[in-house]
Amino acid sequence: MSENWLLKVQDLSVHFHSPRGVVHAVDNVSFEIKPGETLALVGETGCGKSVTARSILRLVPEPPGEYASGKILLSQDQDQSIEILSAPIKAVRAIRGERISMIFQDPGKALNPALTIGRQLAEVFGEHRMDMILENAGIEPDKASRADKMIAQQRASFLQIRLFSLLRSKKGKALQKSIDDAVARALADTGIPNPRKIMKSYPHELSGGMKQRVMIAQALACDPDLLIADEPTTALDVTIQARILELIQEMQKRRGMAVLYITHDLSLVREFADRVAVMYAGRIVETGPAVDVLASPQHPYTQGLLGAIPHRRTPRGQLAAIPGSVPQLVSPPAQCHFASRCKWAAEACKSVVPLLNSTETSRKVACLRFDTAEKLSVDIGDMPARAEMGEVAAE
Amino acid sequence: MQVRDYLLRRLALLPFIMLGVSVIVFTLTRFTGSPVGIYATPNMTAEEISALEARYLLDQPIPLQYAAWIGGLFRGDLGWSGVSVAPVTDVIGLKFAATFELALAAGFIAVFAGIALGTLAGVRRNRLPDHGARLFSIFGASTPTFWFGLLLLVPFYLWLDWFPLGRSTPEIFSSIAHPTGMYTLDAVLALNAGAFLDAVRHLVLPAVVLAFGAMAIIVRMMRSSMVEAMSEEYVDAARAKGLPNKVVIRRHARRNALLPTTTVIGLSFGFLLQGAVAVELIFRWPGLGQWVTSAVLSGDQATIMAYVLITALIFMTVNLAVDIAYAYLDRRVVLGG
Repeated sequence: MSENWLLKVQDLSVHFHSPRGVVHAVDNVSFEIKPGETLALVGETGCGKSVTARSILRLVPEPPGEYASGKILLSQDQDQSIEILSAPIKAVRAIRGERISMIFQDPGKALNPALTIGRQLAEVFGEHRMDMILENAGIEPDKASRADKMIAQQRASFLQIRLFSLLRSKKGKALQKSIDDAVARALADTGIPNPRKIMKSYPHELSGGMKQRVMIAQALACDPDLLIADEPTTALDVTIQARILELIQEMQKRRGMAVLYITHDLSLVREFADRVAVMYAGRIVETGPAVDVLASPQHPYTQGLLGAIPHRRTPRGQLAAIPGSVPQLVSPPAQCHFASRCKWAAEACKSVVPLLNSTETSRKVACLRFDTAEKLSVDIGDMPARAEMGEVAAE
Repeated sequence: MQVRDYLLRRLALLPFIMLGVSVIVFTLTRFTGSPVGIYATPNMTAEEISALEARYLLDQPIPLQYAAWIGGLFRGDLGWSGVSVAPVTDVIGLKFAATFELALAAGFIAVFAGIALGTLAGVRRNRLPDHGARLFSIFGASTPTFWFGLLLLVPFYLWLDWFPLGRSTPEIFSSIAHPTGMYTLDAVLALNAGAFLDAVRHLVLPAVVLAFGAMAIIVRMMRSSMVEAMSEEYVDAARAKGLPNKVVIRRHARRNALLPTTTVIGLSFGFLLQGAVAVELIFRWPGLGQWVTSAVLSGDQATIMAYVLITALIFMTVNLAVDIAYAYLDRRVVLGG
């Protein structure tokens, strides 16, 4: 089986219905992630990378969102796969937090301010590891009472817990201990010092870095196959950004999980990603091994993006900005969205949607400069100048 | 803990605030004229009236009158209620119990139904339940209590005769003891199902009418804070953990949405007391509202002042309760900070 993939996104389009019209936030996006691999989805704010990531867990609210087309396949045992967008919600819930987890940009917003850290982590175990919790408390899962299960799932109300502990306090204590142990282990696993104390804290009592560690511990509690990290360091102080990323990398190595980074930071890609997919205005414009794409970007947008990164050798005052601005995605025209900002743009770029074409093995780019007039059936005179193979953004 | 310290501090402040309230109440009431009219009879002579004034210290300067009144308050004497033809302190407990029972029932309806409806509307934003809830709350907030009360009286009392007026049926009232003055509670304590049913039958209509306005406010607040909470990232994060929708909504969204609603619930309690005046008149509910209305109409100053004092006390207690509930719901709140 050469097609060894964990997650496959095929022709995904996500639309948002707004009073001004239909916003094409994600437009025919396809990519796949192999087990254990790190893929970075790069692009600027509003390019659809976060919506793509949330689609994988089917977290886009419907309405106003709508999965207009496409499939998201998650491989299962024995060459089977499950299609997330059409699966029953119960099956999707079984995947969330168990096989695919997500950490968010701002841990201060992604943790519930009204619940203790311990309670929020316990929810994950209650949802996906109830049998383990019950067994560790000395209760056989198939003999557990409704009350046992409700406590393990953190569903029992305060009154029920009180009543329960009054009636059968020994069992209740064992269950609570079993839950606490699991939570403490998950916290300690991500290098959080003093997990028993952290468990009892509320999110506002912790620092930003600590909160993100808690988020990571929560996301990795059930050993997922894929971790989606949506701008995991953007909201953090610069001093702890690297430490959080190294932590994710270390956990990835230890557990062999795949990571999908959603980021706008190309320097992060260089250090942490195996492959990169660059998104612009809802479409993937270039994809390939991170090293190659960064060394010789082929799409004009990627070139512009790299040119905008300050570099040791960049003389003062010569940082390149990409001229123009991102197009509106309300009922977008069928053309290359980058055409209005591209110096190579020709007539054909304004009438044809460029598709991802392989340029080298394992590299793809969606640009007419890498396409031929015959294939697109447009006049050769309307085509932009052909790109030289191996051309680098070194102008 | 901190909550206890805060509670003690607030309780210690309470007497001083009450003292301030009492000064304002007394002076304002006395400005409306001498209260001697309620004690005098039409065929009294001028000498007899002056003797009456002297007896109640009404010929003394106002500060002295105040001192006498406040001194009486500490001895448990709030004066003579002309409208009840009894000492104020003898009557006020019963009147309070009646209003308290009514307000409590209305409060329960308003809070629980309001939160449930507001949550539903917030979750199903811009869909049918939401439109329904919004229509309901606009109707509720803009309908005068007395009018809505009459509106319900016509079908349910006049035509169907489901719910009687007043507080209880006299025979049933005299058949059980009334240690608390709240008839539903009294019936429960007496283990008398018939009396309980009778008390509830009398309570339903006024409670619903009274709850209506407050509920409208709670629904509106709950809806908007629920809409806000549903868009918070921790709700997405809770979903990403694999939690079922019900848990996400109840534990993660609603719990946080309750915060701003708590304040509104506290404020709407004032709304209940205010509305109780009209409701008690319409449904012949012998509570504080009815009492103070007749007192105002006949210039019964002792009753009016007692009413204002007890209302102020209720308001302060409710506000304190709201603050404490707030600290419990949101751990970031540092009380008294």
